[in-house]
This record gives sequence, C-alpha cells and structure tokens, in this order.
Amino acid sequence: MPVTPPKTLTELFLGFLSIGARSFGGVLPWAHYVMVEKRRWLTPADFAETVGLCQLLPGPNIGNASVLLGKRWFGLRGALVAFLGLMALPYVWVLALAVLYTDYASEPMVRAVITGVGAAGGGLFIGTALKLGRALVRKPPALALIACCFIAVALGRISLLIVLPLAAVAAMVLARADRL
Amino acid sequence: MILLELAFYFAIMSLIAFGGMSAVMPEAQRLVVEMKQWASAEEFMQLFAVAQAAPGPNILIVSLVGWKVAGFAGSLVALVAMCAPAAALTWWVSNLWERFKDSPWRQAVQRAIAPLLVGLILSGGYVIATPGGSPDWRLWLIAGASAAAFYRARLNPLWILAGGGLMGALLLA
Repeated sequence: MPVTPPKTLTELFLGFLSIGARSFGGVLPWAHYVMVEKRRWLTPADFAETVGLCQLLPGPNIGNASVLLGKRWFGLRGALVAFLGLMALPYVWVLALAVLYTDYASEPMVRAVITGVGAAGGGLFIGTALKLGRALVRKPPALALIACCFIAVALGRISLLIVLPLAAVAAMVLARADRL
Repeated sequence: MILLELAFYFAIMSLIAFGGMSAVMPEAQRLVVEMKQWASAEEFMQLFAVAQAAPGPNILIVSLVGWKVAGFAGSLVALVAMCAPAAALTWWVSNLWERFKDSPWRQAVQRAIAPLLVGLILSGGYVIATPGGSPDWRLWLIAGASAAAFYRARLNPLWILAGGGLMGALLLA
C-alpha cells in the first residue's frame, strides 16, 4: 500500500483539524482512521511505532505524535501546525461546554447528570487499566508494582514527584532482571 | 501572580505525565483541590466530566482549571504549560530513540513502564470516582458499571459516558 504524506502545510493542518473535530471519546482511534485509513499518510506499522514512542513519553500521546509527524514532514513549522490543528476545535468546544455548564450548574438535575458522566469517566480509566493490565496478570512483580502505585497514589495521596522516581527505579531493576 | 503559578505547576506536571493525562490525574486533583484549593473535589470532578464530554485529548481538563482560576488567559496558559515541555522532550527524545533502536535498554524501558502506567491510570479512576476521598456507593456503582462495560464490550466510550449521565440523573438527582 503506497503512502502519500501531506504535501502542504494546509493539508497537514486540515488533516489534524479533522482528527480533533471528531475525536469524541478518545483521540487514538480517530488518528488511526484519518492518517492511516483515509488519507494514507502512514503505514499501520509506522503509525503504531510513532504512537508507541509517544506513549512512553510524558504529555498527550496524539499531541506528541502530531509534533513528531509534523516535524518529520515539514520541520518545526509542521510540528506547530499539526499540533494547533489537533487542539484548535477541541479547545473551543471544551470552553464553550464549560461556559454553558456554569450557566446551568445550579440546576440539581444538570449537576446530577454531569457528576454521573464524571464517575463514568473514572470508570473508563479503570476499564483502560484493566485492558492494559491483562497482559501483566501472570507476572507477580508487575502486579506488586501496580498495587504499590495504587496504595501510594490513590489511597496515600503521595505526590507523583516522589512516587514516580522510586517506582521507576524499582521497575527498571525488575525489567533488567527479566522479571517484568 | 496566578498565571505564573498555573504555568509553573502544569509545566512540571507536563514532564511527569507519562501516558498522558490519565497518569497524572491523581496529581492534578491533589494540586487543584488539596494544595491550591482552586476548586473543590466536586467541582474538579465536574470539570473533568465536561472535558470528557468534549472531543480531543483529555489533557484539555487543565485548560478548564485555568479558565476557572484565571479566565480565558488562564485556560491558554495552563494548556500551553501542560503541552509544550512534553512536546519539546518528545522532539528531543525521538532523535535519540532511533539511535537506540536495538539497545536492550530500550526494551527494558518499554517493559518497566507498563505496570507503572496501569497503577497510575487505576489510581486516576479511583480518585475521580471518589471525590473528597469519601466513598459514595452511587458513584462507585456508576464507575464500576462503566469500567465493566468498557472492558467487556467494544463500545464507543461516548455511549458509556451517556449511560453514566443517565445513571447520574436516576441516582443522584
């Protein structure tokens, strides 16, 4: 399957704009749909590797991927254009929703619905953790690390600035010893 | 100066947000609700819900925090602070990453990060569904049902959020 990377900054911008515009409920599937299936900017393997790297790094995954791909095709200008394209519509949308919500926040029914949506969003996090964790269930050291993170961060409310370095060192030691 | 504070705290959070916003959700809640008291636990949860209901990366919740604290300028400052340091790091690391393509370190990093990510995302879900640290069975029921639905069925998450809204209307109003 031949790939056709974007030829102009406008094309790059519009592509990422269309990802941002429709990325309800998660950006990743839509990024794949637009860039790999519809516009054929990338091969599936290339997409998976780029996103995989971004998942290892801090920051929004597809936001970082937009920076890397923009950089690959057009340098710094491309990185900025791709990132702005991705964020522009969701940013406007979320602010508009927030303004609207504040107007109706005193309505008990509106509060109840939005609190329910928030709890469901928390549930999505838990579901995502379960999906990602499925590959780790046969590795007791990995389960122990997950439990330690949960106890320290969720129950103990200890800052990530403390937990993350300690957990990272422990995880690296285990990974180098082939225990993860 | 509130804008500087927003920029400072979210720039730090940007650099520890491994795996995106999900992993630093507990940290964001701790900062916004406990340390700075920019919002109550319930308000934070509602901002999170609004961000979930919009398209785009869920990192946008920081722009809502910024907006609540310092209006339009705050929303932009918080968003840029949350994204720019991580993007700069990504730019820099992507060059290194190619060079270490076959290094055993690269694979060790990949394996090491997986359990941490799971632990942090799980914590994020717990913290959101337990605003203020006091369990409410109704919120846990909604969160548990949503987690199960998302885990079992390949539903678009939007349907699950809608279901959560409906359950909220029935249980919480």
